Amino acid sequence: MTAIAVQQSAGRRNRYRSRRRVVSLATHFALLIGGLAWLYPLFWALGSSLKSDDQFFSSGLNPLPSHFMWSNYLQAWQEASFGRYFLNTLLITLGTVLVTLVVTSMAGYVLARTQFPGKKLCLGLVSATLFLPHGYTIIPIFDLMQRVHLLDSLWSVIIVQASSGVVFGTFLFMGYFMAIDRELEDAAQVDGAGFNQTFWRIMLPLSGPMVATVGLFTAITAWNSFFLPLVFTLGRPELRTLAVGMYAFIGENSTDWTLLCAGTVITLAPIIVLFLFLQRFFVNGLAGAVKQ
Amino acid sequence: MVAVSHTRRADLAPAPAPAARSARRRARKYLWSYLYLTPMLVLLLAFIVYPIVASLGYTLYQWNGIGDPSTFVGLGNFRQIIHDSIFWRSLGHTFVYAAIVVPVQLVLALALALVLNNRRLRFASFYRTLFFLPVVTSAAVIGVVIQLLVSNFGDSINTILMDLHLTHSHIDWLGDPHFALGIVIAVGIWHTFGYNLVYFLAGLQTIPEELYEAARLDGAGRIAIFRRITIPMLRAVGVVILVLAIIGTFQIFDLVQVLTSGGPYFSTEVVNTYIYHLAFGGTNASAVQPDVGLASAASFFFGLLLIVFSVVQVVVLRTLVRRRAAGRERQGGQS
Repeated sequence: MTAIAVQQSAGRRNRYRSRRRVVSLATHFALLIGGLAWLYPLFWALGSSLKSDDQFFSSGLNPLPSHFMWSNYLQAWQEASFGRYFLNTLLITLGTVLVTLVVTSMAGYVLARTQFPGKKLCLGLVSATLFLPHGYTIIPIFDLMQRVHLLDSLWSVIIVQASSGVVFGTFLFMGYFMAIDRELEDAAQVDGAGFNQTFWRIMLPLSGPMVATVGLFTAITAWNSFFLPLVFTLGRPELRTLAVGMYAFIGENSTDWTLLCAGTVITLAPIIVLFLFLQRFFVNGLAGAVKQ
Repeated sequence: MVAVSHTRRADLAPAPAPAARSARRRARKYLWSYLYLTPMLVLLLAFIVYPIVASLGYTLYQWNGIGDPSTFVGLGNFRQIIHDSIFWRSLGHTFVYAAIVVPVQLVLALALALVLNNRRLRFASFYRTLFFLPVVTSAAVIGVVIQLLVSNFGDSINTILMDLHLTHSHIDWLGDPHFALGIVIAVGIWHTFGYNLVYFLAGLQTIPEELYEAARLDGAGRIAIFRRITIPMLRAVGVVILVLAIIGTFQIFDLVQVLTSGGPYFSTEVVNTYIYHLAFGGTNASAVQPDVGLASAASFFFGLLLIVFSVVQVVVLRTLVRRRAAGRERQGGQS
């Protein structure tokens, strides 16, 4: 009697377990298929960048090339000047990241740690800019750049791009520095470290994760930026970035589709790889922004 | 670590400094503080505050952006914008875009976040990466990819549709005013979906596991747990996600500019592309003379509308939350 009951309940447990396994397998299957389908446009661009022109038009939905036309990349890099655009984009991205990190970490540190006359005013100004209607401000910026003779240079893009992320970065660094224990700074000061040494030698190295978060955010925004480089390089085509170059390429000669696909891969691949390596910083930064 | 620094401080504590020295030290600290702030403030004032103030001035002039503005028109620009039917149409498109993209994204993102939040699910972060990836891609480049994709495999879809007798003729997906906005919306949903997924996952992770366990012990089913625990606990984060999503969709520019440039026949013109075309001219559909004053007026008017809209939004959400809280209190009092 009891033996039967035990057997029955064991059978029920097994059935429950196997049902759960089926559900779990089905979930994985759906997520994997759904996820890969979600990225279909990217796979399609990658595959099409290696197709011949004929195959590009005949293969339709199929992203797989029959044989690999690596020459598309060579052509895009040299003839369509994507090599030059790549270098421009890289310089703008590195410059913007560097400027943003230095400027926002310093400001965030001061706002988090020191009391000085005018601090409230400064904080108020910074927060107010979040709520002011950002009108169509590109024209006055354009005008300003013209007057300081920075127009048609990569610097103009770097400075304006960095300024657009300055408030966000400062707030992130401020929050991070506020959460660091004061003891370390006190100890450093007792050991004779000045204001500068305390910041550059101790506090900045301690904020490594936040440097990665702000740096990655800025890098992605700068690399993908379209509007600013579009407007600031209207007069100098050789300063175009990848996104702007591609946009212009459609307008100039809208025939070479496979070359254009190679261009999209050249543009998208670096930032996707960078993201895959550093994604936890990016995701943590986003999550922190909502939870506050 | 903390304890060590404590003892060291006790050992090395300097003798109390004379008043003069401490004052000088404080002055130096102020000086450094200002120096550290200066670069940030310069960038902020030069490229964010000044342009906002300056473009307010432009709204009063008719100006093509070259030289100094000279033709004063007063509030004429605002009058012209208010009477421009294309402005209202582009505003309508912006609202339609937001009204479809936001709810679809939020519902899908919440559903997927609930699946991925399961602790027993392996590879959850891998799946999250798959669905998040479009976020890090450039909207402009995605526009190019979609344009190529639609112009090419649009044919495959057309063949299928014609075989099914759903349509008689070829559909030019991005060139047909009836379909272009739909394509833009679909791509928009795809492109920024990942943000909402990550936000919801972050929100779900703040709900303590004990709550779920307690509910399960009390015999609550999945639906009851979702309605009684997940939804109420997500409300605060949910409001933030909603507001961020709405603000984000109103800013739409890159995608539309590259995909359709606002055409065909202004059928996908959103406010930001409308303003861009006013300021720089050169739409496909019309060769208007660039007018920076008009563009500035349009963007200020749009900014004001957005402020009014967000104030209304905040007020409505607050009263809803308050009414709910009051209702719950009344219920609590009765039981």
